[in-house]
Amino acid sequence: MKIHLIVGARPNFMKMAPLYREFKKFSDLFEVRLIHTGQHYDQKMSKVFFDDLNMPQPDFYLGVGSGSHGAQTAKIMEEYEKVLLEDKPDWVIVAGDVNSTVACALDAVKLHIKVAHLEAGLRSFDRSMPEEINRLATDAISDLLLTPSLDGNQHLKNEGVADNKIVFVGNIMIDSLVQQKNKADLSKILTQLNQQHNIKLEKGNYCLITLHRPSNVDTKEGLKVILDAFEKIAKELHLIFPIHPRTQKNIEKFGFEEQIKRMSNLIFTEPIGYYDFMHLQMNAKFILTDSGGIQEESTYFGVPCLTLRENTERPITITEGTNQLVELKTETIIEKADEIIKGNSKKGKIPDLWDGKTAERVVELFKRIRGEV
Amino acid sequence: MKIITVIGARPQFIKAATVSRKLKDYPEIEEIILHTGQHYDKNISDIFFVELNIPSPKYNLNVGSASHGAQTAKMLNDIEEILLNEKPDCVLVYGDTNSTIAGAMAAVKLHIPVAHVEAGLRSFNRRMPEEINRIVTDAVSDLLLAPTKNAVKQLNLEGKQESTVFVGDVMYDSVLYYKNMIDKREKPAIITGIESFYLCTIHRAENTDIEENLRAIFAALAQTKKTILLPLHPRTKHIISKMNIKIAKNIRIVEPVGYLDMLSLLVHCEKMITDSGGVQKEAYFLQKPCITLRNETEWIETLENGWNTLCGANMQAILDACDSMPGKQTMLEEFGDGNAADKIIQLMLKKFS
Repeated sequence: MKIHLIVGARPNFMKMAPLYREFKKFSDLFEVRLIHTGQHYDQKMSKVFFDDLNMPQPDFYLGVGSGSHGAQTAKIMEEYEKVLLEDKPDWVIVAGDVNSTVACALDAVKLHIKVAHLEAGLRSFDRSMPEEINRLATDAISDLLLTPSLDGNQHLKNEGVADNKIVFVGNIMIDSLVQQKNKADLSKILTQLNQQHNIKLEKGNYCLITLHRPSNVDTKEGLKVILDAFEKIAKELHLIFPIHPRTQKNIEKFGFEEQIKRMSNLIFTEPIGYYDFMHLQMNAKFILTDSGGIQEESTYFGVPCLTLRENTERPITITEGTNQLVELKTETIIEKADEIIKGNSKKGKIPDLWDGKTAERVVELFKRIRGEV
Repeated sequence: MKIITVIGARPQFIKAATVSRKLKDYPEIEEIILHTGQHYDKNISDIFFVELNIPSPKYNLNVGSASHGAQTAKMLNDIEEILLNEKPDCVLVYGDTNSTIAGAMAAVKLHIPVAHVEAGLRSFNRRMPEEINRIVTDAVSDLLLAPTKNAVKQLNLEGKQESTVFVGDVMYDSVLYYKNMIDKREKPAIITGIESFYLCTIHRAENTDIEENLRAIFAALAQTKKTILLPLHPRTKHIISKMNIKIAKNIRIVEPVGYLDMLSLLVHCEKMITDSGGVQKEAYFLQKPCITLRNETEWIETLENGWNTLCGANMQAILDACDSMPGKQTMLEEFGDGNAADKIIQLMLKKFS
């Protein structure tokens, strides 16, 4: 059975790496190809994910690069269709909710090639998010929907998806964490940052920040709210912010440089490698984010997480985990951060099947599918 | 309010014409027509634009034919560019072609609301590219305009109650409008001297590209012993001669006809034999029994009391269906009251302006 695994953007790598390794254990049964659309590409990130995650170079690299949603989705569709016509896989496995996910799924299904969607059934119910549209469209056409949590099953059922297409396999992001946690423990990132910035980071005395959503960091209003909150929080602990170059530019453009200089506890860093980042996550007092995956990782590590969004497609991180949604308001952010700093943080538990064995379950499933064909 | 209507294939021209005609009553709405050029046959498109009096497209993307991925990609890319320039208040898409899905996807990612006319139809055959287009377009659209109560039921099953509205079928509006015109016109010249005949159209790949199927269909047509009028696309004509299929004497092959002539032939025929989706319905609206050369239909309402029979390319099934007579027709209201276009416009005004 020939299977294509699609990666395009950062979160896809973490989902596909464990699955790729598991399929490779059964190379007599499966011929697995790694397809990199090149949706997100930079030298550094690519090295991080291929080297750190011990992944081979992709079998096909589509090199689509960035673009507006329509243009990028179009480019991926055009290029991947050629690969499909040439390589003729039996199954295509897509992950998550990026443009590569929906574009490759559409190409495959039109060519009568089966599609499995890993991390199916997530819903934020916010259709202004491009990811929500990608999720809805991909789930609507996939042949096999692999869900990370049972709320995903429920959403798909509500959308009329037949039961036999939905399989609760667990959260594959956790596989990566479980497999790589020991290496992450050994990371020297805290020492490095201490030396570089002449500070004293240690376990539990800093907040890790990842913000990238346009509504938070691309508008003057959003950035002001956030930086004002930082100014207060930075009096209590260090803030570590691996900053995107676009956000850095916005800070200059909107004239926040003076304010930044006043905050000696706010540390901007370059993009950080996989293990170092995980080390920072595991040891943070709390995490402030607007990313999807980090909400889940925080829940797994039991580290309190404040999510700067109005909604989440991963509600289990709130109902069972350590995550809380926070309004984009300076006072609210400060208030929530204070609670955590004072030790009144939310205690979470690890949700069902977030056990590091999701890739095994997916491959077992494909063994059964293979047997039935 | 500014609307961009995305069309690209024959059935969409007709549906859009119905809404465009009504839009003339709403001076507060500006409609811009974007033609993807998915149906690249110049003759077919021009006939339709002139004959149906559709305002001519402001944009023609001339995408032409290509594989599904490549064609959809080209449309998605170019439609996005136009939407960024025009900044409409909403985008109106029709039916289930690549133009439909490309228009919907381009718009929704730019936060431009999308209204889908003919939402909720399902053949439940995912090997049909149209089915995939329908499913995705319905998944991402903001306003789902259902042509039938069954379509509403389907959308409810998919959890889309909030965005779904039953408006009726714009094709019913259209048939009523043109029937009125046809009744005042002479019979089409090609049927002069023919007392009674069956009208037939064949275009689907599953029938034209599979030799066994095409042979079975022509064998059945020959055995009906009826005059069969068969307007044929040059492509299909070519396939028939390549496959060396014998055309029986009772089968009269004619050039493709425009929409009005087609409807007029339908008005005058005894029965309809077709593999087209839209024609099954037009036959039903005009109370003509229909023999459908497919194994499934999106228009299950037409199957009631034998008004439409699914025969696939099965010779015996086709002959049996030709011999049988349908019962009473009672489900016409399932397709609305003939005012779908007006309801669509009102809803867009209410939701998007």
